[in-house]
Amino acid sequence: MDALIAASARALAAGDALGALKRVALRDDPPALALRGIAMAQLGEHARARDLLRRAARAFGPHEEVARARCVLAEAEVALAMRDLGGPPRVLATVSSTLDKHGDRANALHARLVAARRFLLLGRLPDAAATLEAVDPRGLPPALAAVAELTAAELALRTLRSGPAQAALARAHQAAYRAGIPSLIAEVAEARAALDRPAARRLAGGTAQALRLDEIEALLAGGALVLDACRRGLATAGAWQPLARRPILFALARSLAQAWPQDAERDALIATAFRTRRPDETHRARLRVEIGRLRALVRDMAGIEATPRGFVLQPRAACEVVVLAPPIDGEQASLVALLADGAAWSTSALALALGTSQRTVQRAVAELEAAGQVRGIGQSRARRWLAAPLVDFTTILLLPASLPGA
Amino acid sequence: MSTKTRSHPPQPAARPAEIVREFGPFAGVTQVHGVSYDGTRVWAATGAQLLAIDPRSGEVTRSLQRTGDAGTAFDGKHLWQIAESRIDKIDPATGDVVASIPAPGGGGDSGLTWAEGSLWVGNYRGRRIHQIDPATGAIQRTIESNRFVTGVTWVDGELWHGTWEADESELRRVDLRSGEVLDRLQMPPGTGVSGLESDGADLLYCGGGGSGKVRAVRRPRAQPN
Repeated sequence: MDALIAASARALAAGDALGALKRVALRDDPPALALRGIAMAQLGEHARARDLLRRAARAFGPHEEVARARCVLAEAEVALAMRDLGGPPRVLATVSSTLDKHGDRANALHARLVAARRFLLLGRLPDAAATLEAVDPRGLPPALAAVAELTAAELALRTLRSGPAQAALARAHQAAYRAGIPSLIAEVAEARAALDRPAARRLAGGTAQALRLDEIEALLAGGALVLDACRRGLATAGAWQPLARRPILFALARSLAQAWPQDAERDALIATAFRTRRPDETHRARLRVEIGRLRALVRDMAGIEATPRGFVLQPRAACEVVVLAPPIDGEQASLVALLADGAAWSTSALALALGTSQRTVQRAVAELEAAGQVRGIGQSRARRWLAAPLVDFTTILLLPASLPGA
Repeated sequence: MSTKTRSHPPQPAARPAEIVREFGPFAGVTQVHGVSYDGTRVWAATGAQLLAIDPRSGEVTRSLQRTGDAGTAFDGKHLWQIAESRIDKIDPATGDVVASIPAPGGGGDSGLTWAEGSLWVGNYRGRRIHQIDPATGAIQRTIESNRFVTGVTWVDGELWHGTWEADESELRRVDLRSGEVLDRLQMPPGTGVSGLESDGADLLYCGGGGSGKVRAVRRPRAQPN
């Protein structure tokens, strides 16, 4: 709490990062290091910011527990902005409980939000949901409330619940306006626009109809049996049978669903599932085996009956069969549609689901990554692919004030 | 052995501070840095402006648009205010800066008080108090403490200063020559002391830092020695 620290913090609070730096640029005491780190982060110099915040956290004395926890929190937020997700998650939990113990509620909640966003970026949706549940958005400062609601909205979207997502985005919109941070308002608007974009196509009788997320949700909640070629599986009345890891069964199911209410010819089924134009007796035998496997998997949703020409799908309770396809055709669109569940996929799992080679998937994700539509985490064999985040939080504006007594 | 290692005489036991009154928080104020008293009004430095508070009503009666980042003092006629790494001499009637001298800590300064023709400046992380010449800013004497020094004040020949480290905050009376701690008033946990000024009688006004408040603490009567 000395004069230049106070002056520098005042400049930082007013958004004048350069003015803040000017006042403490030559000082190496812990509060000055923390301020320099936060100012550098606001200027986009993430690596330098991280280094300064680390040094500040180390330099604070044993009595200055709160100041140190705030530095660690700021560092975690900078790491999040750098998309460096390697740190252990328990650090943020410790920081949160330390800040709670010392009555710094806003920053303690902030630490939990950073943890939840980290889980979301890692594709660990259940962990993200559990962490977010512990955050009570009432009484939060508006900027933090907006981030909490955005996180909740993304979680809801990933699990195809557009109603809660809409509601969370509406609350995020209000909170962002109350916070008066233009970039946060823009992020919320961007996320709301994403809700209105076509997320899939409904194929019926040779025509395609673009569907928005809420329409997909209504379709899934309705009485139809839905073959979802985006997430690769069969859905009806809340039940979900994934077929992402069973590419042959999925190809058969898709052919049957597209042919419904007619039957699908044996040779056509063989051509799509086994990729051969000259079927012989062995292929017919294999087809019987695979149809038997599919029948067993989807028994509760639909029956599969043999007809003179081939096989026909007979939904149990559902009145109709609907095929949902990715909004545009092609390998890349199928990849993006698969990743829309928010989970982390390995290249081999993607290749298995799409029925293509790993090399093809690698080429496709490389192009998508360059276009910013997917992102990779982890290195070499541990590398996993996730959808681009729905909203790129304006992270740096929310860094806590890492000052003693601030 | 480090040359900084000094043996301190045993400290007196800390007594809980008796908070008589709280002022604020005031509209638009998130921080109180320095506190002073001009005989009728309590002055508080809040970053962008200096506020004059009527201690009877607790209302803000006047505000000066002057930067104040740390301690405030009153010499009977002018206000002295630490702003960044300088000390401004301000005319409270007009709000004009009459003169400026460099602060001895070069920006590491915290508390400020006026006594007997000198300014006394606390150095926060330096854990010391400087006596300086108000005309030039030259250091005349230095008193060492073993805690981070925040506000400083003189009353009845007693030198009091505030300390604030993490969650712990105290008001301390120290010996002018040796720096020995003579009295300790402990603030409740989480209640920081930024600025400090006595009203010349029984009260010590304390800046509340990030709470945006000013608190009045009862000064214990000097015990007969």
